[in-house]
Amino acid sequence: MAVRANPHLIEELEKYGAQDVVKCYHCGNCSATCPFSGGTYLFPRKSMRYLQMGLESRLRATLEPWLCYYCGECSDQCPREAEPGETMMSMRRWLTSRYDFTGISALFYRSWRAELIAIVVVALLTGIGLTIFGLTYGDLNVYDGEGAFLPAAAIHRFDWAMAIVLVILLGINCVRMWWFTVGGDRGVRVPLREYLKLAFLVPLHFFTQKRFRQCNEKRPWAVHLVLMFSYLTMLILIMFFLHYLQDGPAINWVAHGFGYAAALGLVGTAIYAVHGRIKKTETHYRHSHETDWIFLGLLALVSATGIIQHVLHRTGQPAAANVLYVAHMMGVVPMLVLEVPFSKWSHMAYRPLAMYLSALREKAVAVESAPADKRAAVAQTA
Amino acid sequence: MASTTRVGVYFCHAGTGRFDGIDLGDVAAYAHELPTVAATVELGVRPRLQPDRLAAEIRQRQLTDIVVAGDSPGHFKPVFTRAMALAGGDPRAVRLASFGEAGANVTSPAAVAKAIVACAVYGVPLGLAAAPVRVPVNPATLVIGGGVAGIETALRIAGGGYKVYLVERAATIGGHMAMFDKTFPTLDCAACILTPKMVAVGQHENIQILNCAEVQSIQGTPGDFRVRVLRRARRVDPDACTACHACREVCPVHVPSEFDVGIVDRKAIYMSFPQAVPNAYVIDGEHCTWVQTEGAKCGACAKRCPQDAIHLDEEPRTIEIAVGNIVVATGYDIFDAHRIERYGYGRLPNVLTALEFERLTNASGPTGGKIVTRIPRLNKRTKQEEWVFDAEAPAPTSVAIIHCVGSRDANYNSYCSRVCCMYSLKFAHLVKEKLPGATCYQFYIDMRAFGKGYEEFFERIKDEGVFVVRGRTARVDARDGHMVVRGEDIVHDRIMEFPVDMVVLAAALQPAVGTPRLAQALGVSPGADGWFTELNYNSDPTATNRGGIFVAGVCQGPKDIPDTVAQASAVAARVLSSVICGSIQISRDPISTTAVEQRAAAMAAARPEA
Repeated sequence: MAVRANPHLIEELEKYGAQDVVKCYHCGNCSATCPFSGGTYLFPRKSMRYLQMGLESRLRATLEPWLCYYCGECSDQCPREAEPGETMMSMRRWLTSRYDFTGISALFYRSWRAELIAIVVVALLTGIGLTIFGLTYGDLNVYDGEGAFLPAAAIHRFDWAMAIVLVILLGINCVRMWWFTVGGDRGVRVPLREYLKLAFLVPLHFFTQKRFRQCNEKRPWAVHLVLMFSYLTMLILIMFFLHYLQDGPAINWVAHGFGYAAALGLVGTAIYAVHGRIKKTETHYRHSHETDWIFLGLLALVSATGIIQHVLHRTGQPAAANVLYVAHMMGVVPMLVLEVPFSKWSHMAYRPLAMYLSALREKAVAVESAPADKRAAVAQTA
Repeated sequence: MASTTRVGVYFCHAGTGRFDGIDLGDVAAYAHELPTVAATVELGVRPRLQPDRLAAEIRQRQLTDIVVAGDSPGHFKPVFTRAMALAGGDPRAVRLASFGEAGANVTSPAAVAKAIVACAVYGVPLGLAAAPVRVPVNPATLVIGGGVAGIETALRIAGGGYKVYLVERAATIGGHMAMFDKTFPTLDCAACILTPKMVAVGQHENIQILNCAEVQSIQGTPGDFRVRVLRRARRVDPDACTACHACREVCPVHVPSEFDVGIVDRKAIYMSFPQAVPNAYVIDGEHCTWVQTEGAKCGACAKRCPQDAIHLDEEPRTIEIAVGNIVVATGYDIFDAHRIERYGYGRLPNVLTALEFERLTNASGPTGGKIVTRIPRLNKRTKQEEWVFDAEAPAPTSVAIIHCVGSRDANYNSYCSRVCCMYSLKFAHLVKEKLPGATCYQFYIDMRAFGKGYEEFFERIKDEGVFVVRGRTARVDARDGHMVVRGEDIVHDRIMEFPVDMVVLAAALQPAVGTPRLAQALGVSPGADGWFTELNYNSDPTATNRGGIFVAGVCQGPKDIPDTVAQASAVAARVLSSVICGSIQISRDPISTTAVEQRAAAMAAARPEA
């Protein structure tokens, strides 16, 4: 089948943050500099080429953007200042919007106003809903125990319901990602055995992000790992041990110890990222998309309100703690509902999945005959 | 008809304060004396003008023409036009005499102001009132830079029978071309082309070579420049020296040879190469023991010299020469490849720049033209291990040539250096010719084979079995005792890592180090990329924005030898045309009242009687 070219592909990607793609003159310096580029996966130059040629279907089928961790060396060395690193970043945003079947992701990435409005709407709905619930079944002056404004058990049920919805949404997007990159590609036949054999790659990359560590610059990996584990700790505490944190007056020091460490991690990395993006300290902080700021803003808001409500509760001011709790939830719910399936947070699924899918694809290519013939076959079917 | 012309001259200031120094009364008195002027009126600063009152005045004085004079008379023109119309006159007969327009802010503003008013009164266009001035040209010419461009220009001008001073910073003329082995695409011997020209320069009765010299300052005007030239101490009399090499043998000081780009050593008393012009030794004062100890030590060469040609105590001196034209042919320097650390230049011994490889492959070079790898050797004097070229060292089995090092790169020089693609292909040919078993890779971004016979040369090199890889090399690393070149092979869609024994960096051309200082002395501006700017790239590529100063060769922008020689000849034609004519036109004379009156009389005489 012929490949259809979209002459406006660069303009579309520019809405997702791409810059100066047309400047690229294909010297290949970026691809050769990148520690991940090689074998079946050559980038960023080849991805830049897809963009310049408007090969939208090819671009949608690529896993390369997920293999890039934006160490920024390609952009630093680029003789044309064509910003290949930032282009890969914008491709990740674009791919996220392609995987998302609802179209919400595309709307958010192209219009920060739409995203902000959605956040405000979800926040208000959350705030109003929780306030009505709290006033109906509890007392604003009670934080925990009998007649609590927002009892841990109720919030727990709410969390689980939300988690199930989000996992379903993200799961559908992941299936679409698989279909675009491996499943739907008739040139790539992966035996079921390989799917099972390599499945361990998903948790491995999720927890270690070991590929990120292969970048020459180690600090971004370390910062990201701290952020990720802080989130994960918070998530486990909230999903399974919320009552340990919320109920008093006795303090469960184990749960609190984990909670404080996680809060410290979140606040620390948030400050680091905001400072980096304002001062442009590292190459990957040089360009900031609006969604980056919205994400950091929500992160800061959620961390601050969470900490303050906890302090108020533990210092014996239940009414103020309850108000801050509602405010905290007004940050948490939009952040999870909108960011996890539709925006920046979705990469927690796509990244490890991409490692898995890329390994599968590479296997399939290796199984078949000579690589050159294979590429020709792929080109014909694409 | 002419007798009925009655001009009213109105002086009014817009209050810009620019021409407050002009005595308006004096200018008005002058205007009043002009034959057609019926009235002069001084209205002062920012007068409040009423068209009807002015109209009454115009009628009363029976004015047919109005001249509005001042610092910004256009400001008041509408009022006068309206008044003229109200008075029943011709509204188009209002002319302006703007002091600013014709440059009344020159040395004698009042005189110019008078001339401007006279122009408006007579209706003489300002451009016609200022006659171009021709000045006589000193027939001697200064050529700065003794490379192939300077040599060619000097020979052409001198061949026309006129004096040429050829200033060269080094001890010998020849420039970079003298270092080359072959020229592309013809693979002619570079020295066979250049050295006869150098000898011709040295022997020419009209050419005076000023070697070890630098231009310090330039004064004067086009056609009549006075140039101060610093002549550093050569310390060897070039007329007495017979180049017997006896001094070299006794000199104890070893210094990296500039002519061989530092890949071998020379002595502190040296001759860059056997065909040097003037064919004489020179002492490097910065390294000579006698000079550095102010005569306390050494002096072996002076004792050894059979001709008594060595004068160790020679002092630098400044000479002044008078010339009519100046040709700048200062050429280029090579991009410092240390700046791109990932290519390993300076860190890996067998990473060379193009110029170093040029010396290595040159039959008159340190290895007699054998392409060999650097090997470690203990330096007996310093007791340290050094990487040196030795003719007996093993030859490389694979050579990688990396294009665009420092060129076409926004981080270094964004321009294309124009010669690298072709000399890289030439290198590949030389590798294949001298080492038939060796593998040679070219890593290029775009192959710029733009000249006559260049594309054919490229095809020929490919047929010779050179691997021409599209893709810039990202890095050169040392791995297990040999070097690995990593790059993307774009055509074959793969990342490649080749083990190689030698890497040649096609380093960019950059303006010669002294260019900004020289440009300042000349009063000629270099462009943003550092090269001298020509007056017009298409129609006047050899002239500069200053009359009498021309550019030739790479100092105007990277170019190859054929283009350099062509431009050098073109410059010679420009210089000769002004020298043979005997005078050149310089900028226009400031206008004067006499010039205006003469022009007005001429115009009146030429006008048919009505």
